[in-house]
Amino acid sequence: MTNQYYEFFCPVKVIAGKAALEHIPYELTGLAAKRPMIVTDKGVRAAGLLDPVVAACEESGLEIISIYDDVPPDSSTDVVRDIAGIYRSEKCDSIIAVGGGSAIDTAKAVNILVSEGGDDIAAYSGAGVIKHPLKPFLVVPTTAGTGSEVTSVAVITDTTKSVKLPFTSSFLLPNAAVIDPRMTLTLPPHITAATAMDAMTHATEAFTCMAKNPLSDAYATAAVKKISTSLLQVMDNPKDSDGRLELAQASTMAGIAFSNSMVGLVHALGHATGAICHLPHGLCMSLYLPYVLEYNLESIRAPLGELLLYLEGPDVYSATPASRRAEASISALRKMRDELHKRCKLPRTLKETGSVEEHQLDTIADMAMDDGAMMFNPKEVSLDDARAVLKRAWA
Amino acid sequence: MLAKRIQPMVFQARRLYVELMFQVMGRALQAVSEIDSAVQKEARALPDGFLFEMMVMPDGSRLIVEHTGNGRFHYHGDSAPRPVDLSIQFKHIAHAFLVLSFQEKTSVAFANDRMLVDGDISYAIRMTRVLNRLETFILPKLVAKRAVKEYPSNLHLPEKLLSAARIYLKVATHFVETVRA
Repeated sequence: MTNQYYEFFCPVKVIAGKAALEHIPYELTGLAAKRPMIVTDKGVRAAGLLDPVVAACEESGLEIISIYDDVPPDSSTDVVRDIAGIYRSEKCDSIIAVGGGSAIDTAKAVNILVSEGGDDIAAYSGAGVIKHPLKPFLVVPTTAGTGSEVTSVAVITDTTKSVKLPFTSSFLLPNAAVIDPRMTLTLPPHITAATAMDAMTHATEAFTCMAKNPLSDAYATAAVKKISTSLLQVMDNPKDSDGRLELAQASTMAGIAFSNSMVGLVHALGHATGAICHLPHGLCMSLYLPYVLEYNLESIRAPLGELLLYLEGPDVYSATPASRRAEASISALRKMRDELHKRCKLPRTLKETGSVEEHQLDTIADMAMDDGAMMFNPKEVSLDDARAVLKRAWA
Repeated sequence: MLAKRIQPMVFQARRLYVELMFQVMGRALQAVSEIDSAVQKEARALPDGFLFEMMVMPDGSRLIVEHTGNGRFHYHGDSAPRPVDLSIQFKHIAHAFLVLSFQEKTSVAFANDRMLVDGDISYAIRMTRVLNRLETFILPKLVAKRAVKEYPSNLHLPEKLLSAARIYLKVATHFVETVRA
């Protein structure tokens, strides 16, 4: 009998495609919510992305009671407490997060406070602390990469203790994720590239790491195929709304995949690099992906070889001998990074970022060793191994 | 019919096995922290007085060790002097048995959602490395390979045998001292 066992969970309703935003009033009404609050950031508002959301609601007679548009890139416990205060004073009854990872994580944390009570979000930190369903919550992602709209995790910085607080509960998942191509149409090229490579890394690690399972595999491979097909098309034609929708859907699918199968060394190194050198997460993912796949190669040869079909299509897959497919998958990813570098100078090495010093590599390796993602990497990683991968990624 | 009669005995044996393994592991953790510099280095990153628990949900067998400082662990048995800082919890005794009988690697058990971590995940990763190190010392290579993600290529037989002998001696001594007390 096989020892295989897995769990898969994603109760988020996905509302995707043309005029998806116009479904928000109906969805909120179905959840008995009448007084929504929008949580977003200044960048989203400045880009005019809030206008279609507000218009879609007002046209249906649903008034947005409050808009908080000052979520910082690295959200904190103070911000969460302030937003919860506004939510209560305005007597809101639901939350719509519009933005990227930070706005979504902040809204998740606000939802904990306004549902469970209190002002100290730190009291709810950890896994499984929340035991009840929270207030109605919708997410409208404005980047195509993080997958936060389908993950049950939020990370908020505790400013007084200078630590990052993780919150994990299936109750953090939104009732619905609204994916509308209008929301990513104006993403600048370098953010489009970095966030798409973030999604590509989610899917690739989900498909090659230890907790992979048949259901997450299906989402991961579909996401890889969509990104491989659409990313360069969108880079060449940013107004391609079909391509934008493909990338946004791929991001959500990759999010579903990795939240059910976890990620590995790319994320461990990326989290540490982000914390130490303040590089954007998506960029770190793009940067480390091929080097980590090379490190893991002998442990993931079969699944990585299989990914070639989704990266390069059936012709290349069938023309490549089975024994060379894993290497060909890595080459395909390198080729994609080269194309992105040509189009928007997305760095391919740590040196190219201009934000990392070589002497920081050991500190990055040290921090990465204690990252939770290390547990799910298919190959054991020693400190020397992590340093060696970083050296290869340096230049 | 026979299977139904035997089942309670099988469950009882499984429970006793898990309890015994926790007792051995707790004492072995204390022992390995007294003799192995790599374990001491890992443990030094934990705060002094840090309490680590491994248990079976909801209220089954458990082992509790404390980092007393300078990389040393102290085994507290199954009761903690104060609330623990980190708890690794098996969802069911059947899952604990799979891991402790080396049918499922610790990392695979994590990947399979057999266990929950309550506490700082980075400390959990560190403690897992300590447990892996311990298992590579005290288990025969063939069994250790089933317990850890990757058997270390730089652990040679003389070092393994010597370390295992010292750990088992300390574990046995601790058992005797416990019985006497």
